[in-house]
Formats: sequence, structure tokens, C-alpha cells
Amino acid sequence: MSIWEEIKNTLNNFPIKSSYQINRMRPPGSCDEEMFMKLCVRCARCVEACPYRVLRRSSATKNGEIGTPYIYADIAGCQLCMKCTSVCPTGAIDSSTVEMQQVAIGVARINEDTCMNYLYSKVESGEIEATGSMALCNSCLNSCPLREEAIYLKDGIIPTITEKCTGCGLCVERCPIKPVKAIAVIPKGMPDAETAGYFHYLKRLGK
Amino acid sequence: MQKLRKIFQFIFLAPLFIVPILNLLEIYFIKGTYISLDVGGLSISDPVAVLQALFISHSVRPIMLASIAIPAIIVVFFGRVWCSWACPYYLMLDGFEKLRKKLKLKPLKPKYNPEIKRKANISRLGIFITGLIIVGILGIPLMYLISPPSIMSSQAVLLIKYAYITAEFILLPVLVIIEFFFGYRIWCRYICPTGTCLSLMQSKFSMYVEYSGDCSKCQKCIHVCPMILDPKTDSLSSACNNCGECISACPDNKKRPTLYFKSH
Repeated sequence: MSIWEEIKNTLNNFPIKSSYQINRMRPPGSCDEEMFMKLCVRCARCVEACPYRVLRRSSATKNGEIGTPYIYADIAGCQLCMKCTSVCPTGAIDSSTVEMQQVAIGVARINEDTCMNYLYSKVESGEIEATGSMALCNSCLNSCPLREEAIYLKDGIIPTITEKCTGCGLCVERCPIKPVKAIAVIPKGMPDAETAGYFHYLKRLGK
Repeated sequence: MQKLRKIFQFIFLAPLFIVPILNLLEIYFIKGTYISLDVGGLSISDPVAVLQALFISHSVRPIMLASIAIPAIIVVFFGRVWCSWACPYYLMLDGFEKLRKKLKLKPLKPKYNPEIKRKANISRLGIFITGLIIVGILGIPLMYLISPPSIMSSQAVLLIKYAYITAEFILLPVLVIIEFFFGYRIWCRYICPTGTCLSLMQSKFSMYVEYSGDCSKCQKCIHVCPMILDPKTDSLSSACNNCGECISACPDNKKRPTLYFKSH
């Protein structure tokens, strides 16, 4: 029965061309994932055009994504220089994207259980007991290219992300929390991005 | 003329090294790979890649048509010259042939035979059509995975810019071994989707090798033809890539024109 279900699922969700991963975004100005996979001819022009060496050619063979460009926010976030948007020969990346405000490749989410500022405010309000030293960080706020627009400090302490977040991933790159960063970008089109969010999803899994 | 062809081949080999080096120097004037090259604002793309994207995305974008305009014009007026005058893979095979001669290995080239010719044409067209069907079903332009020139250039960029290579690289060593030890221009004659696509775009305006009908029948042209054709009769064959080897080799050509390029 389970094999039958699996076959049914695979065939009905065919073609298998939209796979998402946290902290892995398409270049700025990309069309939605399914269309991107159809249009991208893997010519690597955007990879070459990237002056910050942020766009990388995917090596994963899963779901045919090999050769397509990705921003890996764990390694480096996109600087939103918009050099790559004008070079695509098939329009997989929309060349009309010239302002960083137009970009929407994902949304950042903060993990409220590990973020230093959240913990600080929780200690202040007496929710939890302080163990060891406390610190305020604000790395995500300071690294954001749309500071005060896409992210602001609620009550002067809690970093809050608004819908203007472009998903560039610079905050992920700079987040000092180890080993799992306290902020993550959910790529555009990823299921559960708005409704649940990545960290709620993890909680449900019990991790 | 063969010297001119070699010069052209090396000019078109240059992007393979120039693009990554310019990239390292942060000059983005020339960028791209053999799938799609960009010089300043001019975009030149592999028709197969763009046609696949067009085929599966069900959308035509002006930028796609603009980028295959130049290849299309070249094919319409000059035939399949990309293969013999520009393709870096073809240049590599030319090199292999010479190297085998130098090493005194037995030549791999089969004797001319209409059956081989027919098989090669059917195989190429069959692979192209099967490829298109698979691409259509999967909805991913996968034929870039089997295009040696584009793999060469994209991997060169990756290797120099990021110091890693992706999985499609595996095709190259396999092909090199096959082409050097086991077969004669297997890729170009039996498989290459780009060559097939270009040959399908040929028209009656395209340049071809004309035979005057009057020569000493020494068969040298058949002997030199890299695509195993008979230049005297197969000038309009989809396998002919106007390399001009037969024209240079013909001994009668020095006295009177027997084989020559002709365009309508």
C-alpha cells in the first residue's frame, strides 16, 4: 500500500522540479521555482556576473537542479548589487529588477529560542532565569541592506522582520549563534513559509 | 583554407580561458559559457538550449529570440559551420587524430560506406528527438548535460572562480577516453544534439560544397572527410559541416575548380 501511495504521489507531483531548502535561494529577480527550472538553461552567466562570489552552481542531482544557480545564505548572503538580473538569456531572472526593494527571493525568520535579543527580553520580563552572561547582538539589524524597513527593533530590543524583507540572507551570514544560526531564510515558494515558518516546523518535528 | 579554419577554431577556443580570467580580474565585459555567451550587450546562445526552454516553458520571450538570432543567421547563410570552424570539442578531436598519427597508432577512421552515413544520420536525429521528448516530459532543459563544449566552459569558470566542479563534468573524461581509444568522432557523428539542431536549421540559402562533376576520381576527398561522407554526392547531407577539408585535399582543384563552396 505504501509503495502504491508513493508511486501515486510521485506521478501526481510530477515533474519533480521544485525542491526547496532553507537558506538556499534563487538569484534576485527570479521567477517562481517551477518556471525557473523550465527556463534556466544552466549557462552560468549569472554565476560569472556575481562580483561577490555568492551565486553558486548547484551540484546536487536531486530533482534535476544540477547546474542551476543558488545563493547559499549559510556561506554568504546576496549583496543585492543586481548585476545578475540583466544577464539571463531566457528571462529566468527578470531583467526589470533593478532596485533592491523589488527583490523577493525569500523571507527571514528568527528562532525565538536561541536569538540573544529574544532571550535577553525574556530574562528582563522574568520569563526565564539568566544562566551565565547576557548580551545584546543586533547583527541581523546591522547587516540588513533595508535597515528599519525590513527589520526593526521592537521595543528597542526585539528584532522584528516585516514583509519588506527581500530574503537576501546577509543576516544569516552574520548571525553569530552556533552551531545552528538563530535566523534563517525561507526561499520564496517554499511550502509553509507564511503559515508556519521553518522553526515552527522544526518544533513540530520535535527537534 | 585549413589554416584559416584552425585560426577560427583557436579564436573560438579563447573564451574558454579568457572568460574565467577576466572574471578573476573582475571584468564582466565578456561573460557566459558556450551555452550562452555575452559580449558587452550582445547575447549569443546555443539554439538547442533556448529552444528547449521555449519548448517546455510554453512562453516566448524577446530576449530568447534575440540571443539565437546570430546563430540562426550564420546557419542560414553558411550552414553548419559552428561545428568545424568553432566548436572546441571538434578542435580537440582534430588534435586527437593528429596525436594518434604522431604516436603511430592505427587510425580509427572507418572506410566510407553509405550504410555508416545513414546510421549516423538516423542516430543523431533519433537522439535529438528522444531528448526533446524526455525534456518535455521532465520539464527541465536537460540537454545541456550532454553538450561537451558547454560543460568544458562552465566547469572552467567554476574551477577558476570557486575551485570546485559539478557532477556533469564526468561526461568529459568518459568521452575523451572513448574518442581517443575506441571510436572516430563518435560524438559528432552519432550524438551531438547541437549539431543536429543546427543542421535542421539549414535552408536552401545555406552554403554547401559544390562538385563540378569533372575530376580524376582519385577519392582523396572521401579519404579526408571527417564526417565519413562522399563530398562529391553528399554535399547537402545534414552531416556535412562545411569544414572544407575535401576542397583543400583535392589535387585537381589547383588546375580547375572541382570542389568549391557555393551559396545560392
